[in-house]
Amino acid sequence: MTDESDQSLISRVLGGDRDSFAGLVERYRDRLGRYAVRMLGNQTDAEDALQDTFVRAYRSLGNCRPDGFGPWLYGILVNRCRTYAARRTRSQEVVVANELAVNAAAVGHSADRDAIRDAISWALGQLPSEQREAFLLKHVEDLSYESMEAITGARSSALRMRVFRAREELRKLLAEEVRD
Amino acid sequence: MKATASRVGIVGTLGLGVLLLIAALLLMAAAPSQAHGQEPRLGKLPEPARSELNTLVTAANQRGLPTEALVDRALEGLAKGASAQAIIAAVGRLRDELVVAHRALGPGATGPEVTAGANAIRAGASGDELTRLKTLRADRSLVVAAGVFADLVASGVPADTAIGAVMALAADVADADYLAFRRTIQRDIAVGVSPMAAIDVRLRGLAEQGLTAGDTPGSVGGGTRVKRKP
Amino acid sequence: MTDHDEVLERAIEGLKAPPELSPDFTVRVMASIAADETPERAPRPRWWRRRWTIEVTPLSLAAAAALGVLAVGLSRAGREGPVPTVVETAALATSTPAAQVTQFLLVAPGADSVSVVGDFNDWSATATPLARANGDGLWWVTVPLSPGRYRYAFVVNGTVWRPDPQTSVVEDEFGRPNSVVTIGGA
Repeated sequence: MTDESDQSLISRVLGGDRDSFAGLVERYRDRLGRYAVRMLGNQTDAEDALQDTFVRAYRSLGNCRPDGFGPWLYGILVNRCRTYAARRTRSQEVVVANELAVNAAAVGHSADRDAIRDAISWALGQLPSEQREAFLLKHVEDLSYESMEAITGARSSALRMRVFRAREELRKLLAEEVRD
Repeated sequence: MKATASRVGIVGTLGLGVLLLIAALLLMAAAPSQAHGQEPRLGKLPEPARSELNTLVTAANQRGLPTEALVDRALEGLAKGASAQAIIAAVGRLRDELVVAHRALGPGATGPEVTAGANAIRAGASGDELTRLKTLRADRSLVVAAGVFADLVASGVPADTAIGAVMALAADVADADYLAFRRTIQRDIAVGVSPMAAIDVRLRGLAEQGLTAGDTPGSVGGGTRVKRKP
Repeated sequence: MTDHDEVLERAIEGLKAPPELSPDFTVRVMASIAADETPERAPRPRWWRRRWTIEVTPLSLAAAAALGVLAVGLSRAGREGPVPTVVETAALATSTPAAQVTQFLLVAPGADSVSVVGDFNDWSATATPLARANGDGLWWVTVPLSPGRYRYAFVVNGTVWRPDPQTSVVEDEFGRPNSVVTIGGA
C-alpha cells in the first residue's frame, strides 16, 4: 500500500500511469466493499457493484475533484448499489441465502459473533433500502450529513429522518431476535 | 473571394464539434460491439439494459464463469419480448447459480459442466450435492448427469428423490444410460405412475443389473436408495 | 431501552468489520481497465462548454433527419409483430444423442412457416426454419448439438410460440414456456 496522496495518484493516472490506479483501488476497496456487502447482502453482487464503481471512476477520473476522490467514489458506489438492488428478484434471494451460508461456513468465527452478525444482516435486510443506505452511511461509514447529502442527493432533513427510523426499526428487530 | 471565405467559415464553425458528433454517431451505429468488453450478441438489446448486461457478463468472465448461458438467457428474454428489468433479473439469477456451481465443482470443471451445475442448482440441488456428484463421476463429464437431474425435477420428480437417483447411478453408468433412464422415467410418468414410484422401481431394476451403487453418500429420500446386490 | 441501545451499538461495531473480498479483486479491476480501449484518462475536454455557432444548411438538416430515421429504425428493431393467429399444432421431437444430431419435428397443419428457436441459435426466429415433410402438416429440421442442456421452442408463422408438447420438460421465466433437451456425448 502506498503513502502517496489521492491527489498525487490521480495526477499520475491522468498522466498515463495506469498502474497507479491500483493504489487507489487498494486504498478504498475494503471501505467501499464493506458498504456494498452490507447494502446488498450478497457477496457476488457487492463485488460486481464495487468493480463496476472502480471501472467507472477510472473512465471519468478527469471529472473528479482531486481533493474529493473518496466522497466522489462513494457517490458512484451508492448509485451502483441502487441499480444492483433494484435488479434483485425474490427468486434470487434463495441463491443468495445459500451463498451467504457457504461464506459463513468458510469464515469460522466464533459462534457468538456469527449469531450477532446473522441477526444484524437479517435485520438490515428488513429495512427499506433508503433507510438501510442512510443508516450505513451514517453509522457504519461515519459520514457527516453534509457528505451524505452530496452522495445521495437527498436533503439533510430527509436523511436524518431515515437514520432515525432505521435505528428505531433495528432496535425493535434486534430486541425480537435477542428474545428468541 | 468572399464566397470562398464564407464557405471556410461555415466549415470552421460546424467543423470540430459537429463533425466529432457525427463521427461518433456513425461509429456507434456502424460498430456498436467494438467498444471494450462488449459481447457482440448483446448488441441487439436496447440501452441501458445492454450496458448493464455487458457489465454483468464481463464481470462473470473475469470470475472464470462460463458466460455463454448468460448471453443465451438474455437473448431468450429479448426474443420473448420480456422487459429489460425481467431480462436483467433472469440473467443475474443465472449468474448467482453459476457462482454456486463454480464454487462447488472447483477450478477443474469445464464451462459446460459449470453451466449444467447451475441448471442443477436451479432445480434444487445444493452445492454440496454437486461436489459429491462430481467426485462420484470421477473423470467423466458432469454435463449429462446434472442435466438429467434437472430434467427429472422438471418432469415432476421431487428434487431430493431425483438427486438420490442420479447419485446412485453416478459411479457406474455411461451418459447414454442416464439418458435412457430419464426417458424411461418420463414414459412411466406419462402413463400415470407416480414420479417417486417410477424412480424407486426403475432403480431396483437397474440394481438387479448391478448398475447402482449402494449407500451412495448423497442419496436422500425414501425409496431412492438402492443397495447393490452382493 | 438501554439494553436495546447496547445491542444496536454492538451490531454497528459488527457491521464495521472489513468485508471478505476475493483476493484477486484489485487484479480484476486492473484487468478491466487494461482492456479498455477508450479510457477517459485526461480531464474531460472543455470544447463543449464554449459557445459554438452552428449554421444550419439544408445538407446538415438532411443528415440529421437521416440519422433520426436510423435511430428510430434501430430502436424498433427486435420488437414483436402483431398479435398472433392461433394455429392448431401437435408435435413430437426425437433426438439421436449418439450422433449428436437432434431432430425437431412439429405437426402444424395450416402453418405457413415453422422455425425452432433456442440456446443453440441465439433465439433467432429466422436462423433454423423447419421444412415441410408432406401434406399432413409435418415439419422437421435436424440440428447438430454438442453435449449439454438446451432450452428451445417452436415459432409458427413467425409469431406463435409453442413448447414441444411431446416433452414434459418445460421451463420458462419470461412468460412463454420452453421445452428442454439434454444431449449426451457420442
